[in-house]
Amino acid sequence: MAGIVISGASRSFGTVRAVDGVSLEVGDGEFFTLLGPSGCGKTTLLRMIAGFCELDSGEIRFGSERIDRLPTHVRDIGMVFQNYAVFPNLTVAGNVAYGLKARKVAGPEVARRVEEALALVQLTGYGARWPHQLSGGQLQRVAIARALVIRPQVLLFDEPLSNLDARLRVSMRGEIRELQKSLGITAIYVTHDQEEAMSVSDRIALMNAGRLEQVGVPVDIYRHPVSRFAAEFMGTTNLLANRSLGRAGDGLVSLRPEALRLAAEAPTDWPTLSGTVARVELLGPIVRLDMRLGDGTVIKAALLDQPGQSLQAGAALSLAYDPARLTVLP
Amino acid sequence: MTLGVPHGQRLPLAIAALGFAFLGLFLLYPLFNVFGASLLDAEGDRLTLANYTKMLGRPFYRAAIVNTLGIGLAATVLTTALAVPFAFALARLPIPGKAAILALAALPLVLPSFVSAYAIVLLLGRSGIVTQWLQSWGLGFGSIYGGGGIVLVYTLTLYPYVLLPTVAAFKAVDVSMEEAAQGLGSSPRRTVWTVTLPIVLPAVLAGALLVFIETLENFGVPFVLAEDMPIFAVEAFKLFIGETAPNPASAGVLGVLLILTTALALLVQRRFLAARRFATNTRQAPPILRIGRGFKAAATLYCWAIVILALVPFLAIVVLSFLEFRGPVLHGHFSLANFAGLFDRSLRPLLNTLVFATLAAASVTLIGVPIGYVVTRFRSGVATVLDVVATLPFAVAGTVLAIGFVVSFNSGMLVLTGGPLILVLAYSVRKMPFAVRSASAIVHQIDVSLEEASISLGRSPWQTFLRIVVPLMLGGILSGVVLTWVTVASELSATVVLYSGPWRTMTVVMFQALEGSGAGIATAAASTLIVVTLLPIVLLYRLVRRYELSMS
Repeated sequence: MAGIVISGASRSFGTVRAVDGVSLEVGDGEFFTLLGPSGCGKTTLLRMIAGFCELDSGEIRFGSERIDRLPTHVRDIGMVFQNYAVFPNLTVAGNVAYGLKARKVAGPEVARRVEEALALVQLTGYGARWPHQLSGGQLQRVAIARALVIRPQVLLFDEPLSNLDARLRVSMRGEIRELQKSLGITAIYVTHDQEEAMSVSDRIALMNAGRLEQVGVPVDIYRHPVSRFAAEFMGTTNLLANRSLGRAGDGLVSLRPEALRLAAEAPTDWPTLSGTVARVELLGPIVRLDMRLGDGTVIKAALLDQPGQSLQAGAALSLAYDPARLTVLP
Repeated sequence: MTLGVPHGQRLPLAIAALGFAFLGLFLLYPLFNVFGASLLDAEGDRLTLANYTKMLGRPFYRAAIVNTLGIGLAATVLTTALAVPFAFALARLPIPGKAAILALAALPLVLPSFVSAYAIVLLLGRSGIVTQWLQSWGLGFGSIYGGGGIVLVYTLTLYPYVLLPTVAAFKAVDVSMEEAAQGLGSSPRRTVWTVTLPIVLPAVLAGALLVFIETLENFGVPFVLAEDMPIFAVEAFKLFIGETAPNPASAGVLGVLLILTTALALLVQRRFLAARRFATNTRQAPPILRIGRGFKAAATLYCWAIVILALVPFLAIVVLSFLEFRGPVLHGHFSLANFAGLFDRSLRPLLNTLVFATLAAASVTLIGVPIGYVVTRFRSGVATVLDVVATLPFAVAGTVLAIGFVVSFNSGMLVLTGGPLILVLAYSVRKMPFAVRSASAIVHQIDVSLEEASISLGRSPWQTFLRIVVPLMLGGILSGVVLTWVTVASELSATVVLYSGPWRTMTVVMFQALEGSGAGIATAAASTLIVVTLLPIVLLYRLVRRYELSMS
């Protein structure tokens, strides 16, 4: 097991710089997520670490060992793919044993470790099944067991949950995080889903157009985005001109919808904003509403639902915001 | 790392290098020599176009060009006209026995077409059985020798080339397109003409092109039926046999013209099809149309009539081979004399056919499958060139390739003429495009991430190819092996140029019996060929069925 050090990794496809001078350090045993929209270079970077994509320049180390020139099959990685990639010509046990056999592990040891790995992903007793008899969630568990059983230095996840339905996604991401922590294997996880990234990661690297936009613990990136892109990609936000809030300067600020409250219920030192309700959406526990300010700017707010609260489109409204949660963007 | 080749590229480059070595030596080099022969003067040391002007100046060879193209076009139009309604009926009309029709309709593709031609001669020729029977009633019909008979045989044996892709295309038409047209006020009949047919057109044209190329290259059918009508492939063969081997200038000219014609047809098709790709992603198979009873009966009759008419010649040959011949004259007695006559002399030809077909199928598979894998998985300049070279034999008539082989390998470093290996190599090259295409189609269906998963788990790319890719391709590879085997067993055009002494095959025996008057031997040889080609197909079919049953 080892940390990962990436320095100055670059790769172009034609004129597109898919990964553009990325440098990162991932700690030993850390759950690290590459997050970004499609085409941001996160998958290319993961495939560089895996060895499926050559570097034009830069280098990658596992611990102190430089690995970017090594062929994939000797890098000692475990990889979980978006479409599971479970070998259809092998049984579940055959799939899990595949990497052990490649490492020439002795027969009885293989059987023991396969059982152990299947138990870990809650598939005890499924060893003799064929992949076509399993559901999507079960297939992904097989793929995870197959990657874990070889006890790799590094675990790589390429959008492993995006083919599963929403409910299963939420429970599986918890399981993946728990497994990774209990085994202590360094993990790189690629996703375009901001919520998924925040729920599983120790740290996140937010990527945009082949570059690192911001690296940090999830809550930091959410609360203190360093750029307009980071603010918008990490959840919903209001990007407002200082002028609209009656502040000096002509830059932009980010204000999360949940930083707003009804003026009547807010602490008195919070600045207030007045306007008319443009739209109301009751989503159960929370109410989303759009308020139009005097200068026409629309502000999104998320309030907790309360009995007796009635907000109508067109009604006059005063909201107050927490000044501490205002992020000034460069 | 020693060569500076990125590790991901080593396996494909190694395969490509082997592929280029094989195809370079046994395809490009012989073709180069054919081109050379056609462009050199009699002494063989100066470049000249004299051979071309000489050949094209002679009305006989100009007629050969016109005849070949005319017959090819006629056969292409006729097969298309027959096969498209047939395909529509199979895909969209309630015809009983569809599975049987499809299975039987594919048979002419693997059965040797010159056997069908020979059966036509025995039935409808000058002293043919049907001809004589009709004459006894005072009825007569035109001669089946020459263009008409050739077009007839081509139509009966080549129609599946259009039928099979067109059925698939009709079935792949997204039903919502037709529904959209009808929702916009188009009648069902108008919808077929304005929506459905245009969508399947590329598939029809691709099939039609195969028919056209097949007619250009076919040697056996015109050899049996053309009589004194000059046809390209036959004349090239005759010229080559007549010429002195070191400088087959005239045969070379015909060969080059033949290759250029096929290449031109392929280019036209590519250009036309490139502009028309109607990708329909089917969510729902189009429905079987409701039709009246009369229409249904007519459609059923139409489909079965074509299928049966195409197979009647082969059936007739089998029946005839068990009847007694005296010279060319047929008697109505059951007899095994024809087979006794065929096999008494020697079992060698049958044995040769079986051994050559097995060796060729094995070598085509061993070389073609890796090439098919590389050209599909690795999109680089090298892979594209390899793809083009491996598809090239498709545009080269067997006769022309064989002439190139003789010129290239009858002296010098590598002498192959007079031995069995030259036949196996020629077969391997001729069937290479087929193996590469079918392998490529299978690889397309295997998800790349399966290979990446295997590599990430510690298997090298080469081990991954053997342990994951090959097992997943196995079903397709097996079908490919059987089809190669079968088509090699009935190969005629390259064989008649390249065989020698003890290395005669069944097709050569039949060919020689045709030239002589051994009709009995010829029918026995033809029946044997039919059995030799059908048996593996039946076995494969049963094997596949059993495999499917065991999997479910």
